[in-house]
Amino acid sequence: MGHRATPPPRPAAKRLRTAALAAALLTLGTGCATVPGGGQVVTGKPAEGAERVDDPYVRLIPVRPRASWGPDEIVSGFLAASASFDDDHEVAREYLSPQNSWKPGLRPYVTVLQSRIFGPDILKATDEQATVRVTGAQLGTISSDGQYTAAPKDLDATFQLAKNPQGAWRITNLPGEEKSGLLLTKDDVERAMRPVNLYFYAPGRDNLVPNGIFLPVVDRETLPAQLVQALLTGPTSWLNGAVQSAFPTGTRLRRLDVDKDVAVVDLTSQARGGSVERMSAQLSWTLRQLSGIKRFRLRIAGETVAPDGGDSTQPVGGWAGNSPDGRTTSGQSDQTAYLVGASGFLGALEDDHAQPVVTGPAGRLSRPAVAPDYQELAGLGSKGDRLFIAGPLTGAPAARPLLTAGRGARFTAPSWSPDGTLWTVESKTDQSRLWVRQRNRPPVLAAHWGLGGRQVLAFRVARDGVRAAVIVRIDGRLQVQIGRIARAADGSLDVGSFLPVSSELQDAVDLAWRDYGTLAVLGRKKGDSLNLPYLMPVSGSAITSLGVGALGDPRTIAAAPGAPVLIGTRSSNKDQVCRQRQVDKSFSEWICPTPGRDPSYPG
Amino acid sequence: MNLSLDRAKRVTRRGLRGVRRVLRGTARRGYARWRRSIQVRVVTSTLFISAIVVAILGAFLMQQVSSALMDGKVKAARLQLDEGLAQVQRDLGTTSEDDNRLNAMVNRLKARSGPSGLYEVYIRDTTEQYFDGYATNELREESVPRRLRDELRHAPAGSRAYTYGKLSYVGDRPSERGLIVGGRTGQYELYYLFPLEQEQRTLTNVGRSMAGVGIVLVLLLAAIASLVTRQVVIPVRLAAQGAQRLAAGRLEERMRVRGEDDLARLARSFNDMAANLQDKIGELEDLSQVQRQFVSDVSHELRTPLTTIRIAADMLYESRDTFDDPAVGRSAELLQSQLERFESLLADLLEISRHDAGAATLDAESLDMRDLVLRVVGDIQGLAERKGSKVVLQLPGEPCMAEVDRRRVERILRNLLVNAVEHGEGEDIVVSVAADRDAVAVAVRDHGVGLKPGEGQMVFDRFWRADPARARTTGGTGLGLSISREDAQLHGGWLQAWGEPGNGSQFRLSLPRVAGAELRGSPLPLVPPGAGDARPLFAELEAGD
Repeated sequence: MGHRATPPPRPAAKRLRTAALAAALLTLGTGCATVPGGGQVVTGKPAEGAERVDDPYVRLIPVRPRASWGPDEIVSGFLAASASFDDDHEVAREYLSPQNSWKPGLRPYVTVLQSRIFGPDILKATDEQATVRVTGAQLGTISSDGQYTAAPKDLDATFQLAKNPQGAWRITNLPGEEKSGLLLTKDDVERAMRPVNLYFYAPGRDNLVPNGIFLPVVDRETLPAQLVQALLTGPTSWLNGAVQSAFPTGTRLRRLDVDKDVAVVDLTSQARGGSVERMSAQLSWTLRQLSGIKRFRLRIAGETVAPDGGDSTQPVGGWAGNSPDGRTTSGQSDQTAYLVGASGFLGALEDDHAQPVVTGPAGRLSRPAVAPDYQELAGLGSKGDRLFIAGPLTGAPAARPLLTAGRGARFTAPSWSPDGTLWTVESKTDQSRLWVRQRNRPPVLAAHWGLGGRQVLAFRVARDGVRAAVIVRIDGRLQVQIGRIARAADGSLDVGSFLPVSSELQDAVDLAWRDYGTLAVLGRKKGDSLNLPYLMPVSGSAITSLGVGALGDPRTIAAAPGAPVLIGTRSSNKDQVCRQRQVDKSFSEWICPTPGRDPSYPG
Repeated sequence: MNLSLDRAKRVTRRGLRGVRRVLRGTARRGYARWRRSIQVRVVTSTLFISAIVVAILGAFLMQQVSSALMDGKVKAARLQLDEGLAQVQRDLGTTSEDDNRLNAMVNRLKARSGPSGLYEVYIRDTTEQYFDGYATNELREESVPRRLRDELRHAPAGSRAYTYGKLSYVGDRPSERGLIVGGRTGQYELYYLFPLEQEQRTLTNVGRSMAGVGIVLVLLLAAIASLVTRQVVIPVRLAAQGAQRLAAGRLEERMRVRGEDDLARLARSFNDMAANLQDKIGELEDLSQVQRQFVSDVSHELRTPLTTIRIAADMLYESRDTFDDPAVGRSAELLQSQLERFESLLADLLEISRHDAGAATLDAESLDMRDLVLRVVGDIQGLAERKGSKVVLQLPGEPCMAEVDRRRVERILRNLLVNAVEHGEGEDIVVSVAADRDAVAVAVRDHGVGLKPGEGQMVFDRFWRADPARARTTGGTGLGLSISREDAQLHGGWLQAWGEPGNGSQFRLSLPRVAGAELRGSPLPLVPPGAGDARPLFAELEAGD
């Protein structure tokens, strides 16, 4: 032991060192984390602007009845609370006596009022019983299948109240025969219910027909299930008989789960009888209204089924071939517009120039309409009292007279439905008749025509072939209404059930189907001095004006899905056809580069 | 039912006991490893301490991140609320009671709440008695805590407040934590409710990554500690092994020296120490060899003159009566007796030096121990009678055969018996013989003064005397017991002594039946039965080793 060896480092010292190292590493690591100050540009798609069914919504928060409230206050509170669908109207039911079985459920019957009812009258009141009367302006009703029917009238309803053992007033009897009905204001309905479309098939055809209903938004999670349930319930009374559903009767929804953006729709075993493809198309079009669902999977009694040649998980954007706008949805932008050129010929619009297609007398017809299969051409005589038909669509074919109107009557612009049927309404100031002409057959009168006693200014069949839009004079005002074409049990045509679309326009002169959900209408709003083009959603939502700038005196309008809206106008004694400078912008300015009149799209 | 329950209970209890046993075993093993290995200790403490440090750091960082997140959120929320309140003021004024305007206002707020539920809005008109305002989406009104409402109600107009709470929803949507800011303008109360789900997710993610990093870090530290201690511990272990071998007598054992670090220095010092030890031990061995040789040589050299002296002394002794002076005759007698003593001393010295030199050999033959005992007792019978002692024999009936060297065993027995007679104080001397499968034993018991504590070992030392004052004239050479012990050990046997003051002593010779076999026990007890105290004051059980 000549020299003393230095001892090795002690473990404690080493541990301290390692701990210090750990601390240093951690602090260093966190010190490095900063927000980036530069870097490449990250792009993203804009959120879809269209209003979706499951967009954010607003709920009214009800209050429970207070013990000190009198009968009139109880009724006011009840009316307010019934606008809240939370927990199956739990709060509203607290206003009722326990004996009352009022249970509106998720698809209630709703009476829509113009505004809130203030100050109900107490008709008579004793210590124990009271009768309260409410009055207001009714706008319409929503039946339990979701169908809105405008029915403006004065509402006068009475409530019976009694005191409960605790000494507080409770409602014992509700007004009306519909015991489950709700009395809601327009605002309440807008807040608590959403207009949604259910899609059904046009009879014997593959294209779908939208059926707009009002669906209460209880919460967004159950919305898909509610929507599918409504679809399975079938069309509303309005379209009943006019459309078909691919779901066999008795099919019910077992459950609907949404996993991320995939909805799994599980139907009962009755659905085995239906065509998977057709059911999928209906579901696809119905579910695409929900922004949260991008794909769906169809199950029948727990078993996943897939359409022929397709994946079992289908995108909701699929089934474009079943579009209510017909099969032309894809490549729609090459829809050719036709117009009557200034020198009297039917021309196809190409780059703002009319290329003559049909010359001779057939080219001089006013309001020409080209059949969807481009085989025939229908038009009116110059006074509008004679209907001509011509074909083929080339050269100078003869214009064969088809119909001549009675004295004082005029025809509306002819309209083709997708199967090649020609429709026109012969209308006088106090009556109208609908003429239907199937290909190669003489025209016949529709057996049932819902507007027989009224003047009709325009009649356009939608591209689905089931719905028809009209401009009809009701009580001196021109209204846009939509009806449906159904075949009665005996095979006769039934065109009726016309319902007003919007009451925002004072006046309307012409309309056209832009797409299955929108009408392009030439009309006047309150305060307008001239007719202007408007886009009118069929659902009854607010109308929007189209384009800016002077149009002179617009007379006719033509529209097609994805194609520019064309307006035939007359300014300073010159007929012109106008379009928007930029087609895809609704506020783009109107320009009128083409001389001509009566533009139209085929179909 | 009860039976099966009982059985189940029993099975469970047994299982629990088994688990407990296994756990205890594991713990014990772990503890043993912990005690035995520096490496385990260092790694464990590193793990423990670094885990604590990392946990503290992690908690601190989480706290920082969370408060930073919340601060940002609160700031954004208050800005949002301010904007909303300004909007409400612009749109509604303070007196308007137009339901439609409130409705439009709510719709505008709804549009801002965003599709993914960035926040929810709740607006309330305090003058409206039939409904409690509007909320966006599925938000329940209870989400706004009562305390926030009370705070706002009592606060001056235009003040804002915020709190954290739980947002609950209509339908199946689970409630979640949220930040709730509220403000009042005129009659309207406006609340913005921000779900903190995103923040919670961020925090969870950060926490998870931090936990992962922490665990990796702690494991890394443990690995480093393990590596470092390994580098230190392995040379230490090698040194320990080397020391062990050195202690076992392998003096040539050395450590490998590698490099020039501390551990190399340790190895070098160890090697130096081992070399020194080897040298010293070698020197000592040489020295003892020289000494033994010297004793042996001296004894031999003394023999020749002694023989001459002996012849002369014998002559003197025989003619002692012819001397006129009786003192001369007495001297001759004295010379004769001292010469005998000297001779026997020399013989003993030679014998012991033969043992020391390892030259003693065993001339074993199979003999009956009883015969040996009887012969030796016969030899000393006369001496015993002179001393007034009686020798009592306790011999077994059957022969006690053993492979022994007759001469050596006789010498041992004689030695023991002579000692016993000399120290026996005239009392009885008991000689017992016993045998079992592997060994035979002879015990010689006297009832003399006995041995003091510690003397049981010392009696076998060379030239030891119980009473140093006693003259050397009496008794033996002082080497007898030493030689006896060497002889016993040569047989692979034991020679042990027991004694108590006043109670006499007992010497026991135990020998294996087969020469050279290992002795495991003795057929006779070392402490004689019925010897005063049951527990001997002194017992040298291992004296033979």
